Amino acid sequence: METRMTMWDSFSKRGLSRRTFLKTCTALTAMMGLPLTDRKKVVEAATKQPLPVVVWLHGHECTGCDEAFIRSQSPLASDLVLNMISLEYSDTLAAAAGEPFEKHLETVIKKYDGKFILAVEGGVPLADQGISCMVGGKPFVDVLKEVAKHAAAIIEYGSCAAWGGVQAAKPNPTGSVSVSKVISGKPIIKVPGCPPIPEVMTGVVMHLALFGQIPPLDAQGRPKQFYGNRIHDTCYRRSFFDAGMFAERFDDAGSKAGWCLYKLGCRGPEAYNACGNLRWWNGLSYPIQSGSPCFACGSDGFWDNGPFHERLPNVVLPNTLTNADKIGAGLTVAAMAGVTVHAVISSVQKARHAKNESEHDEE
Amino acid sequence: MKNKRVDGIYIFSPFLRLFHWIMAAAVLMLFLTGRYIANPFFHGSIGVDPTISVGNLMSMETIRFWHFFWAYVLVASFILRIYGWVMYKGDRLLPKFWTKLYWTGLSEVLQHYLFLKSDHQPYLRNSLARTTYLIWYIVTFVLMATGFAMYGMINPASWTAKFFSPVISLLGNEYNVHVVHNYAAWFFPLFLTFHTYFAYRSDMMHGDGEISSIFSGIKYLPGKPADAEDLK
Amino acid sequence: MKRVVVDPVTRIEGHLRVEVTVDEATGKVQDALSSGTAWRGIEIILKDRDPRDAWAFTQRFCGVCTTTHALASVRTVEDALGIEIPKNANYIRNQMASSLAVQDHLIHFYHLHALDWVSPVEALKADPGATASLQNAILAKYDLGLSGPFDFNTDAYPKEFPRATPAYFKAIQAKVKALVESGQLGIFAAHWWDHPDYSLLPPEVHLMAVTHYLTMLDRQRELVTGHVVYGGKNPHPQYIVGGMPCAISMNDMNAPINTARLGVVDVAVNLGISAVNYFYLPDLLAIGDIYVTKHKMVDGGGLAGKCVLGYGDYPEDSYTGIANGDFHKRLLLRCQGVVENFAAGVMAAKFTNLEGKDYVDPEIITENIEHSWYSYPQAGKALHPLAGVTAPNYTGPKEGTKTNWKYLDEKGKYSWIKTPMWRGKMAEVGPLARYIVTYVKVKQGLMQPTWAEKMIVDQIDGVSKVLGAPAHVWMCSTVGRTACRGLEAQVMAYINKYFFDKMIKNIRNGDTATANMSKFEPASWPKEAKGVGLHEAPRGALGHWIQIKNGLTANYQAVVPSTWNACPRDSKAGSGAYESSMIETKIKVADKPLEVLRVIHSFDPCIACATHLYDTEGNKKAVINSDPYINACGGCGS
Repeated sequence: METRMTMWDSFSKRGLSRRTFLKTCTALTAMMGLPLTDRKKVVEAATKQPLPVVVWLHGHECTGCDEAFIRSQSPLASDLVLNMISLEYSDTLAAAAGEPFEKHLETVIKKYDGKFILAVEGGVPLADQGISCMVGGKPFVDVLKEVAKHAAAIIEYGSCAAWGGVQAAKPNPTGSVSVSKVISGKPIIKVPGCPPIPEVMTGVVMHLALFGQIPPLDAQGRPKQFYGNRIHDTCYRRSFFDAGMFAERFDDAGSKAGWCLYKLGCRGPEAYNACGNLRWWNGLSYPIQSGSPCFACGSDGFWDNGPFHERLPNVVLPNTLTNADKIGAGLTVAAMAGVTVHAVISSVQKARHAKNESEHDEE
Repeated sequence: MKNKRVDGIYIFSPFLRLFHWIMAAAVLMLFLTGRYIANPFFHGSIGVDPTISVGNLMSMETIRFWHFFWAYVLVASFILRIYGWVMYKGDRLLPKFWTKLYWTGLSEVLQHYLFLKSDHQPYLRNSLARTTYLIWYIVTFVLMATGFAMYGMINPASWTAKFFSPVISLLGNEYNVHVVHNYAAWFFPLFLTFHTYFAYRSDMMHGDGEISSIFSGIKYLPGKPADAEDLK
Repeated sequence: MKRVVVDPVTRIEGHLRVEVTVDEATGKVQDALSSGTAWRGIEIILKDRDPRDAWAFTQRFCGVCTTTHALASVRTVEDALGIEIPKNANYIRNQMASSLAVQDHLIHFYHLHALDWVSPVEALKADPGATASLQNAILAKYDLGLSGPFDFNTDAYPKEFPRATPAYFKAIQAKVKALVESGQLGIFAAHWWDHPDYSLLPPEVHLMAVTHYLTMLDRQRELVTGHVVYGGKNPHPQYIVGGMPCAISMNDMNAPINTARLGVVDVAVNLGISAVNYFYLPDLLAIGDIYVTKHKMVDGGGLAGKCVLGYGDYPEDSYTGIANGDFHKRLLLRCQGVVENFAAGVMAAKFTNLEGKDYVDPEIITENIEHSWYSYPQAGKALHPLAGVTAPNYTGPKEGTKTNWKYLDEKGKYSWIKTPMWRGKMAEVGPLARYIVTYVKVKQGLMQPTWAEKMIVDQIDGVSKVLGAPAHVWMCSTVGRTACRGLEAQVMAYINKYFFDKMIKNIRNGDTATANMSKFEPASWPKEAKGVGLHEAPRGALGHWIQIKNGLTANYQAVVPSTWNACPRDSKAGSGAYESSMIETKIKVADKPLEVLRVIHSFDPCIACATHLYDTEGNKKAVINSDPYINACGGCGS
């Protein structure tokens, strides 16, 4: 068995100085949200652990997650792909194609049996034996099962792999499901988002590479360091929510002033993601900062929670659109009217009853 | 034969009466504050620096504080009501679906309310009312579970979050928890309407002291109640 | 005769399989088939949802062309509801679309296509000193000397510029060497690096290109910074029907857009211009020059010389609708129309217009399913996209089993992609198509060029001079398709700047509106409405169609660029763009069909886009749609 390189080996082999290596470790320490005093641990980890082999499979997807991955700023895509991991199989970036590429996959999963990280992007269609997503002439689900058998751990990149994604929205014509619905018995890390923040995607890989273990996960299997809080609880506009200052519609005074987007249907109060603190492009913006309500793209089943610009989902009645509040208020008014009428009739009934009783008494 | 008005029956324990009013206040406050939280229809403090919202009586933050305050009051009352349910027979007049009386009573009362029958026989609490109260408890329980599931996730590492997280998993995602909480809350204005009306009506039609009973604990029924067994 | 299968085709978006039958003696391709092997059914999912959310769903067709479907979708809904968006919203959308085109073309060239021409193994043989000289020579030689208009020239000097020092190239070479020797080749593993075509370029070109592969891999993200400022994220920035969600205010510190935020965009706009002018174009022209003038490689033209199609895009200002023709009156890039027979020369080519109502005419754009895994009630009759019947009919492969293919059936059904046609003919779409249409329209005097169109014509003439070949010869080839993509990146970089400046001027005049909310609420909508949305996406002409009933989406259809290009054959119309280009490509080593990858990559396949549309199992979900325009064409877009 070939010994795998540590990150430090990889740096020294590529002629990079120890200083560069330490600088990278510092950056990673900060990026992973660890205090800088932990740098020593990061350095140790990077010196001792072998360089991880990553196999990246594509199912029912749009490649947006690959695109997000290469947008990572820290670490940069080139550093990550060439120096920190060995990306042995990726439809999007690999030079090779066709038969030699598929052969290479077979070789890799055997050579690194039980040692490589499997990253999956995209949902897994199951309808009709999975023929709605064929790779190399075989259903994707078959390829996934075969490769997963040999993997050490699995990363579900994006909401499709983690929850089934857009194609799994009602009525889910292709029977698409998440990877974890198909694979069991392996540690699975969910990294949902449509797509996830680039630095979250690379951060998860780096955690595995540096510490040689799965990052701490929450109840739903997501890394706590990136999905630990609601966007609402980390949002820079939270103070406007607390103050009751809301944008009422797009491009009104509240929108211009950057007030809370709650009334425009913002799903921040129920979305778990790193948008509020990490933001996109290393702190530049996120949908809310750009004036657009969050629609919780990292949540299970968020596609079926439309319309995205309303707090409550539509209830479709014949020829009309309404929501729970309108129905609730309507029912209450109807109930009040109902009891009023009932009261009137009751008093008539009572009067008649009393009359009957008195007649009865007279007899 | 003319019904004889029997002596007052002592039904409701002081426990029940006290918590009835506390819970009524809590539910009313929760509904009103909840309406604002779901759809903030007025602005708390336009033009005021958001950082001073804490001191603003009508800010979202204050209203949310009162929502959580009354939620805790409701939960505490709910728990103490369970104590009352154990201790006092009059505090557990819930539907007994397995008895014939429940079904005949339900039919009788419904007919009376639909004006198909001029009167119904006296009950400590009729089947329809019993059923409604059971629904009240179920809805309140759903609201508590969903409410605390959302509330707990402010700190996902907390005990509350862990305890209530199955609620979120059960409903799929947290948005659905909000939606269920919102839908369920609309039960209360409906309940309030019917509850006060029928209590008042009962007094008006039968003069059984329905309204005063929630203060005194005593009802004056026009005859021996069909479900008198429940107090024995 | 050998039948070679390439599956998966990598460095693309989505799942594509190609099969070519090669005569091993001559290298001639006898037959080629292209098959989209996955489909997701998003249009079925869109049914009965809020049309204001459609952009978010349709954008998930594709994460590479990550703004195009959202844009086409909001345009469609706005066309249906008669919403005229504010000027700023139009400028911002145009900036997002053009900056995406720059970034997208650039990563397609360097990261998804270059490895068909360039090899890290060859780069090891290069002399770093000679590479530095080559870099200088290329920068001097391949400057076309063209530029777009500037209202506010904010760029003091080129911030991103190729380094041309021997030590730099030596350092890169050392890293490549270490990588190759480590045995852990990662993304470079298992490729046909021994293919003879990798020796067509001198080693120094390989080293320079590999260097720029790395430089641009880390820089490309910054080209779409505007998406993050205006749309909050990328991929998949946020849109709204009626404009853009990013309100503009110079009075508010917390505004989504104020001067500081525009400063961030400004830097990205300038970077786009530098990246294209100093990296992309010189590299592209240097490689293209060697292939065309030295090796005479002008194959892979396919449909380009026969029939190309465009829709036109980049409205200068707000427009009242698309189907009513107003959109096409206001375009900066009027490449709408079809050009046939361009191979015979620019003046001999035949131009046919395609505007306004043509997009809703059931006879003009149709789709057929002869070789797609679907069935139509009336065999052999092509249908307009909105009249389409989607009844799946998966027949499996010719050899192998349903779930383990050997060879697909070129005589029967073999793809999840339908076959779109223009008046019963196959057409190619994309940058090359846009360039041919624009070039023909200007040269034949059919229109007075705008600055962008003039720039396109000047670019084509400039490159013709460099290559020493007339436009119709070099353009109708793999190299030509690749070159026009790069040239377009330059035009797009300036279009980005142009609309940024227009927006600045407009804000300066006091207009900060970004959204027209007057018809946002479904209560204000008519009971029924229908619309069409057009966009020239990086991959080519994109059209979305919607039918709204009672505030909900009753029907949604999209015909996307890769559907036009990657479609299976048709017995009357012949082969689609991929297939006919592959057939015209010579293959040197039959079992290492690098040339096939190269020609396919010149189209930038986006297969998830092309195959999102279709329904699954059984007739239960098969929808028979009546085209809203067939019955009510007079009311289009009004």
